[in-house]
Amino acid sequence: MPRWGMVIDLDRCVACQACTAACRAENNVAFAGPEDTELGRAIFWHEVLSEVSGEYPNVRGTFIPRPCMHCENPPCVRVCPVGATYQDEEGLVLQRYERCIGCRYCMVACPYAVRYFNWRDPQWVESLNNYRNPDVPIRPKGIVEKCTFCSHRLPVPACNQACPGNARFFGDLEDPDSVVSQLARGPRAFRLLEDLGTEPKVYYLREGA
Amino acid sequence: MLVRTINGRAVKIEGNPLHPVNTGKVCPKANAALQVLYDPDRIKGPLRQVGERGSDNWQPISWEEGIALIVERLSEIRANPGPHTVAFMTGRVRGQMGGLIDRFLAAYGSPNHIRHDSLSVDGERIGNELMFGHREQLGYDWDNCNYVLSFGRAFLEASRPTVRQIRAFSSMRRDRPNRRAKFVQIDTRFSVTAAKADEWVPIRPGSDGALALGLANVIIAEGRYDAAFLQEHTFGFEEWKDAEGVIHEGFRSFVLRNYHPIQVEAITGVNADTIVRLAREFASTQPAIATGGRGASMQTNGIYNWMAIQSLNALVGSIEIPGGVMIQNHPPYTAWPDLPADSLAEAGRSMPRIDGAGTRSHPLATSVYQSLPAHILAASPYPLSALFLYYTNPLFSAPDVRRFYEAFQEIPFIVSFSPFLDDSSVYADLILPDHTFLERLQDDEIEPSLGYAVVGLRQPVVAPLLDTRDSGDVLIQVAKAMGGGVAAAFPWENFAHAVQFRLSGLWASERGTIRATSFSHFWDELTAQSVWYDAPYAFGRWGRVFNTPSGKFEFYSQSLKNRLEARRGEFSWDDWLDELEIRARGDALYLPHYEPPRFIGDHEYPFYLNTYKLMTHAEGRGANAPWLQEKFGLHARRSWDAWVEINPEVAKSLGIVEDEWVWVESPLGEKIKLKALLYPGTRPDTVNVPFGQGHRSYGRWAKERGENPNWIIADEYDRVAGTAGWYATRVKIYKA
Amino acid sequence: MEDREAVLFKPMEKTGRGFYLVVSILGLILAWAAFAYSRQLAIGLDVTGLNRPVYWGLYITNFVFFIGISHAGTLVSAILRVFGAEWRRPITRAAEAITVFALVLGTGNIMIDMGRPDRLLNILRYGRFQSPLVWDVVSLSIYLTASLTYLYLPLIPDLAILRDRPSLPRWRQWLYTKLSLGWTGTEVQKHRLERLIGIMAVLIIPIAVSVHTVVSWVFAMTVQPMWHSTIFGPYFVIGAIFSGIATLIIVMAILRRSFKLYSYITDQHFSNLGLLLLVFAFLWAYFTFSEYLTEFYGNEPAGMRVLFAKLTEEFSPLFWAMWLFNFVVPFVMLSNRRTRTVRGTILTSILINIGMWLERYNIVVPTLTRPRLPSPVSSYLPTWTEWSVLLGSFALFAMLYVVFSKVFPIISIWEVREGGEIAARQAPGVHAAEAAAD
Ligand SMILES: Nc1nc2c(c(=O)[nH]1)N[C@H]1C(S)=C(S)[C@@H](COP(=O)(O)OP(=O)(O)OC[C@H]3O[C@@H](n4cnc5c(=O)[nH]c(N)nc54)[C@H](O)[C@@H]3O)O[C@H]1N2
Ligand SMILES: Nc1nc2c(c(=O)[nH]1)N[C@H]1C(S)=C(S)[C@@H](COP(=O)(O)OP(=O)(O)OC[C@H]3O[C@@H](n4cnc5c(=O)[nH]c(N)nc54)[C@H](O)[C@@H]3O)O[C@H]1N2
Ligand code: SF4
Ligand code: SF4
Ligand code: SF4
Ligand code: SF4
Ligand code: SF4
Ligand SMILES: [Mo]
Repeated sequence: MPRWGMVIDLDRCVACQACTAACRAENNVAFAGPEDTELGRAIFWHEVLSEVSGEYPNVRGTFIPRPCMHCENPPCVRVCPVGATYQDEEGLVLQRYERCIGCRYCMVACPYAVRYFNWRDPQWVESLNNYRNPDVPIRPKGIVEKCTFCSHRLPVPACNQACPGNARFFGDLEDPDSVVSQLARGPRAFRLLEDLGTEPKVYYLREGA
Repeated sequence: MLVRTINGRAVKIEGNPLHPVNTGKVCPKANAALQVLYDPDRIKGPLRQVGERGSDNWQPISWEEGIALIVERLSEIRANPGPHTVAFMTGRVRGQMGGLIDRFLAAYGSPNHIRHDSLSVDGERIGNELMFGHREQLGYDWDNCNYVLSFGRAFLEASRPTVRQIRAFSSMRRDRPNRRAKFVQIDTRFSVTAAKADEWVPIRPGSDGALALGLANVIIAEGRYDAAFLQEHTFGFEEWKDAEGVIHEGFRSFVLRNYHPIQVEAITGVNADTIVRLAREFASTQPAIATGGRGASMQTNGIYNWMAIQSLNALVGSIEIPGGVMIQNHPPYTAWPDLPADSLAEAGRSMPRIDGAGTRSHPLATSVYQSLPAHILAASPYPLSALFLYYTNPLFSAPDVRRFYEAFQEIPFIVSFSPFLDDSSVYADLILPDHTFLERLQDDEIEPSLGYAVVGLRQPVVAPLLDTRDSGDVLIQVAKAMGGGVAAAFPWENFAHAVQFRLSGLWASERGTIRATSFSHFWDELTAQSVWYDAPYAFGRWGRVFNTPSGKFEFYSQSLKNRLEARRGEFSWDDWLDELEIRARGDALYLPHYEPPRFIGDHEYPFYLNTYKLMTHAEGRGANAPWLQEKFGLHARRSWDAWVEINPEVAKSLGIVEDEWVWVESPLGEKIKLKALLYPGTRPDTVNVPFGQGHRSYGRWAKERGENPNWIIADEYDRVAGTAGWYATRVKIYKA
Repeated sequence: MEDREAVLFKPMEKTGRGFYLVVSILGLILAWAAFAYSRQLAIGLDVTGLNRPVYWGLYITNFVFFIGISHAGTLVSAILRVFGAEWRRPITRAAEAITVFALVLGTGNIMIDMGRPDRLLNILRYGRFQSPLVWDVVSLSIYLTASLTYLYLPLIPDLAILRDRPSLPRWRQWLYTKLSLGWTGTEVQKHRLERLIGIMAVLIIPIAVSVHTVVSWVFAMTVQPMWHSTIFGPYFVIGAIFSGIATLIIVMAILRRSFKLYSYITDQHFSNLGLLLLVFAFLWAYFTFSEYLTEFYGNEPAGMRVLFAKLTEEFSPLFWAMWLFNFVVPFVMLSNRRTRTVRGTILTSILINIGMWLERYNIVVPTLTRPRLPSPVSSYLPTWTEWSVLLGSFALFAMLYVVFSKVFPIISIWEVREGGEIAARQAPGVHAAEAAAD
């Protein structure tokens, strides 16, 4: 049984957001529009986190592509009252859309804030309906959704497929010879908020030589 | 580009793995192309403006009516006042479209194909022409390069070809064990490229030429140059004597004399120690590339900046070597057939251009897009009778757009081919909407990058959704209906045939990835693979590298000299140079030198205004794609809007807080209202505004969203080249 | 004796203009809140100010707040009963009613917060015992059942008394007959009832404690900064009892005044409860202080961001108002005999309730506005919909109370009688003194 994992090389990543765009296209994520985006209602299963800090001219920019971490020890799953979010036998943390009651407990429990709530029914304006991907269901209002590691197209997630920087790798962490396993063991590897014990299955490779 | 279709609907765009430029990858803009194709605000069919210009009062008409209308007008104009009074303004002319329009105008009798290049990258092209003898952008062998100095090239956000550069960036860093290239971004703002680079050099606006020459100074003074290369492949490095026996100063002594790091520090604000260090790194980490973008080349002193940057490559011998600069090869197209003899057309073609390109005002220019309003409003050299807009949106993209609005009122007949009701098309009399690029056949010769020739062929992936027509087909239909010489110039049934005709040369050359016994086999194969490319770049074919009078890289540009000197007798030399706003005299005129940049606005306007492109923006074209809008400004963490980046300390002194509305006002008397972003990556003397928002029209998501900085940007020039001085406007900011 | 009792029957027998006025005002507020909520049902939680990352806001604050005040009843009627505090007698029912109604509102608010209330039953169909939310559902249902029983049992003798009052309309007599389960007041019945009540009184205390502990665990079982705390259980219980007592005081004051129950609810009662309040103010302050001090010394960046959001940044007005209302005011007002008057105690109680609502808000919202990873949006402004629901919640609480006291005796008649007998046995003359003071 594989344990799917992802590796993102921050030294290769150029913060282009092709991954984010590809994820939205692949997974039928409707856009939120200006007002709701401003309010923090936009849905991005994948997002590039950005932070520019420091004082001129000593400025630092950090850009971290962020899918769901598919934690091996997922706090979101632990708290869901109805098992609408669960971990499958291959380690993917997935959603049962039809079961979710919209309590958003999993969202407050996820330390990575990768879960998204449908604050209203998604907008599929007129002709924009045409590009919906039939392999992925449309989610109604009132429920939670998030990155599935593209479980419907394993083992090539749309974000990885798109990445022009060749910065993303996907594969079986159980297999010690897989590219992801090798990279995850490397000296540049780290995970986000590692000390929380969530055991994320998304590894990052540090920037720099 | 591969498009997944289901029941005739396009649902997903992915890169074509066979394509050597994209290798299966695309940028976010390409992903969002689905929202361009299915944009609910696309124009549904041909339209005629029945109300006043700009009233947005349209009457749907048939294609036959539309074409008949054009034919009628063009025939009238051709007779009186003459075919030269018709102009095409064009933007993204891909593949054969550019040639087709050139040909249409030539056959009809007009010299006025006005391309948007003078807004775009003509600074680079002309600079290269002066030193390399090629009027085009250069190829770069990034994959083998160990050190990059990027002067105002938004390497990871814009520039070209973006996806190829991103891949190269990644590979320079990690594809070569133990050889991680260093990337230095010289930019006036802390861009994403600057953030991802190993070092950011925040330079004073417009001073890139000085910095490059400062680096050259250190390299020369410390003897770190490639003497053999300079000896063999360059002209004007050392002192030289011309045919008349006059001694000319060489680049070496000119640079040593004028650009000591201490002097350069004063000009650029870059620390002398940094200059020395960068020069040493650049010269010792071979192969290294010095390159640049619009930030350096589209300044009032852009051409000289560009020459200074390229002289760095020559100094270290980074030309025509792996890991250095390459001269792009072009596909072996079949030449367009000769035009039929047509005296009316010939007379028209020989008229001066409406935009002043190649004249005394802009002697090196071939198109001066942004000068059109001045010429139209002055009816000089003649009034314009009709304007055709193909893939360009001057009422949005040009500096000082208000003047364009005024000029449009003076043009009796305006036709737009746009599939979108963009800012300019609303002011057209007639719209003949093109297919979008997923619905049409389109060949594309990609931007210089790999050195070898690459031709992509895009097949329609979905049947046209609306009553649109390929603009190439429409042009051919118009030509045929015009009859006579115009019709005779177009022996092809449609645009696809014209493309096949031109591409038959690829087949005949028996080169590249596709070989076939017959052209029809070749075409089938090309259709299947979507791309043809030539053998990898062969280095060392020196005979084709420098197309200059000396056959070498010219530090001292003889072609610049020849072209200026050719007119020496016509008018007063010094007055002319003053008119061209060039301060240098003597040999310096033809050497890379620092020409101080000019700015509009005095101390009352304390900030330089910089506008820039984002990865999520496709010139003016992405604004109606919600996917792009919703992730518009990553570094700014803003979306669906424009903003103005202000240095936090400066903002504090002005009492401006984060997210506050401020006015940004320029000496044009125009101002725009934007939200303040206190951004630490802003020079205290500069403010930055992203380009791409503020459409007056385009579609529901683009319209009146944010502001377009072009309302406040002055129409300044690097006059000799006719290129826009995009960064020459100063502004003041105050609370709204 | 009978005269004094007339007061207890009056609200059920006579309906004045005031009643209709109050009911119509509350009805209007409720209709407005219902409108706001139905809009939310139709459009989705988009109509709230919630967002990512502030996934929870006013509704969850209300939930915790109402569950908190539900401790009023348990405390008075059970704890005091167990300890045999006699002065509890007139207020047991009023207190127990608070418990039941507050529980209804607490659970109601959590349902209002749900994205898919239509899937409520999924909790039964797919409930997972690993989820603290399911612990909540279980403990809340038990608490609600127990509290209802505990409200109902002591009501039986009174229902029988009412059943036998000819002055009441037919339907109510019918209702009382059904509900009084054939109570005749025999010794056997009395004995059984006393035993049942005694058992419930003991049972309900751990249930109540568990409920608020579990509510705190909803937060504490996550790894979020300033939620993931071991003292959250007792901290929430203390806070709950604190706000419970305060609510009780307010309700007592209203009842005393509107039903003229001065002889049953005396100044001494207020003073006693005031002292209890003071004790809890100290306990609350102690817990709060140690919670924040630990966070501060832990110096963990994520926690510090939340801490400073409260101490000095946008939540600081709410945070310091909370300290003022929950500690400074009670300390000043209640530790001093001269200010611990009936009025002073009531005023303090009102402020404590506001303070405790703010405390809940200060726990729920600031943590969510400071996610560990960078996020563009991090603020929350409740919308009119949420405020309407808040207002509606209070209106519903009042409405339930008003209607309840119209139909049922809000002062336990038989318990008071019984108390009177005990008192008469122990200290004859007390009643006379009280009557004179009235
Ligand atoms: N995503 C995306 N990619 C694109 C396009 C697009 O619209 N979107 N457009 C394409 C087109 S048409 C073109 S022409 C290219 C343009 O490609 P670039 O020339 O690379 O792009 P710009 O954003 O115009 O670059 C201007 C950069 O120069 C900086 N700059 C401004 N002033 C100065 C200066 O004085 N000195 C220095 N050193 N830097 C300065 C700006 O901050 C900015 O980062 O991009 C192409 N690629
Ligand atoms: N302030 C500021 N201004 C700038 C720049 C900047 O950096 N800052 N950059 C400049 C640069 S580099 C450039 S290249 C110019 C670009 O400016 P333009 O040449 O105006 O190019 P676009 O904005 O891409 O406009 C293209 C137009 O083509 C139309 N169009 C879109 N798709 C199709 C199609 O499929 N077929 C046809 N026939 N038409 C189509 C649309 O109507 C669109 O408005 O802008 C320049 N303006
Ligand atoms: S990242 Fe969040 S949503 Fe994903 S598995 Fe971990 S806790 Fe769950
Ligand atoms: S919102 Fe849905 S998935 Fe999340 S905890 Fe509640 S029921 Fe489970
Ligand atoms: S793995 Fe799939 S669902 Fe997850 S971020 Fe990538 S594209 Fe989106
Ligand atoms: S697509 Fe690749 S390079 Fe671009 S932001 Fe995503 S991970 Fe980084
Ligand atoms: S950079 Fe331009 S050509 Fe390349 S994928 Fe993006 S939109 Fe297409
Ligand atoms: Mo451009």
